Amino acid sequence: MTKDKFELGIIVTACAVVVYMLISIFYLYVAVGESWSLVWSALFESRVHGAIAISVSSAFIVGALAIAAAVPIAYLLAYKNFLGKGMLETFLIELPQTFPPVTEGLVYLLMFRPIGLAYTYMAVIIAKFYVSAPFTISHVTRRFKEIRESGLDVMAKSLGAKPRDILSRILLPLSSRDMLAGFSLTWARAMGELAATLVFAGAVPWKTEIIPTLVYLTAAETPEVAIAASVIAETLSILALLSFKLIARERP
Amino acid sequence: MKELRIESVTKRYGSVKALYRVELTINPAELMVVMGPSGCGKTTLLLAILRALTPDEGHIRIGEEDIDQIPVEERNIGCVPQDFGLFPHLRVYENIAFGLKVRKYPEVKIRERVNELMHTVNLEGLESRKPKELSSGQKQRVALARALATDPYVLLLDEPLSNIDEATKAEVRINLKTIQKKSKITTICVTHNPEDAFNLGERIAIMHFGKIVQCDTPQSILKNPRNETVRKLIAPMYIILSNRETGH
Repeated sequence: MTKDKFELGIIVTACAVVVYMLISIFYLYVAVGESWSLVWSALFESRVHGAIAISVSSAFIVGALAIAAAVPIAYLLAYKNFLGKGMLETFLIELPQTFPPVTEGLVYLLMFRPIGLAYTYMAVIIAKFYVSAPFTISHVTRRFKEIRESGLDVMAKSLGAKPRDILSRILLPLSSRDMLAGFSLTWARAMGELAATLVFAGAVPWKTEIIPTLVYLTAAETPEVAIAASVIAETLSILALLSFKLIARERP
Repeated sequence: MKELRIESVTKRYGSVKALYRVELTINPAELMVVMGPSGCGKTTLLLAILRALTPDEGHIRIGEEDIDQIPVEERNIGCVPQDFGLFPHLRVYENIAFGLKVRKYPEVKIRERVNELMHTVNLEGLESRKPKELSSGQKQRVALARALATDPYVLLLDEPLSNIDEATKAEVRINLKTIQKKSKITTICVTHNPEDAFNLGERIAIMHFGKIVQCDTPQSILKNPRNETVRKLIAPMYIILSNRETGH
């Protein structure tokens, strides 16, 4: 009986957290309330379209770049032993996820303004990459380490495989689902990135303005535009994340 | 057919000597079984031969060549690990063809060799199955065919019968012996099971705490165990043999 009560307590607490999280996700759709017509008309504003285009395209580019960066880094972290490897892993994976994005935006502004990269589309990519890529790097690194521990790479080597064969015939095919899972998280995080992008890339419509900066800048004066942009951003994120998860569901 | 010579190989993990001055010569085309209890250093010995780990001391030679400085991918040593080590994303055909593909054999030759091996290990009809769709006996045969595909100088078998169910063990044992005899590849097989060791090996090396304590033919070891350790390790064989004699 005591055990049942204890278990019931855990389930009730879990349910409370689940309800809170679900409300946090879906409240926006309720909050729109009777302003759906205003939101609907805002959806046709050129500035909103520009923000969507910049947000979605830059998130896809950042996702692809994250995979390209994750493979060599994961290989290095999984297969090479060197002094300070643990520290490097923290700097590459954990720190970017906890480091204040606004500070990183400022760092990039100081670094890249002299060469004319500030307030450009490239600045949007650079700012988003720093905070989002670690999700993919972390997923791929973990998978490469698992494969190494399974000894499959040694088997491949005993059959004559060189490092490039191991990468192309073993590591990449066996990590494809993890790459996709990492990509989906990177994409979603890149879609939501605000601070570093605002500081480093600014908010020039159809050039560097993304959905989060549009929401931030219009929330006070034209809330219907902010709400419309938020509804789009949230719907896109939910749909994209669910699709990516569905594709990445099965592992060979 | 090449001789495999292990010369005074030592491997330490901290203060533990996993291998201590191991000396062993496996004749060309011979099937040598290394038998010993779990943790005695058998798998470490295989990994040292494969060069998945580097010994602290000693040398390993294949024929006249010292292979200490040769990396795994150039040693041409076939290996069937205890868990079979099949590539889960590749079909049976692709698993067997793996070594030939990375060595850039022509496609026609690959097909010819894989078909020949599928026939040898009795896997015909299963070429398009994934490893998860195979029984443990079939997985082992795929792993064996894959290891044999590149005509290795030496074949390493790590506990080849430990993941096979009792009902098919005898058959698998005979198959292993037949295939090894046919392929004439110098083979070293490690096992903790005396029955498997005595049924498989032309010679048996008894290993204990990282040392080879006796190496001889199965009959000689049974007749003249060198010391009490060997006698204890092979004790189950006396029971099995006496049961066979009395028809139990």
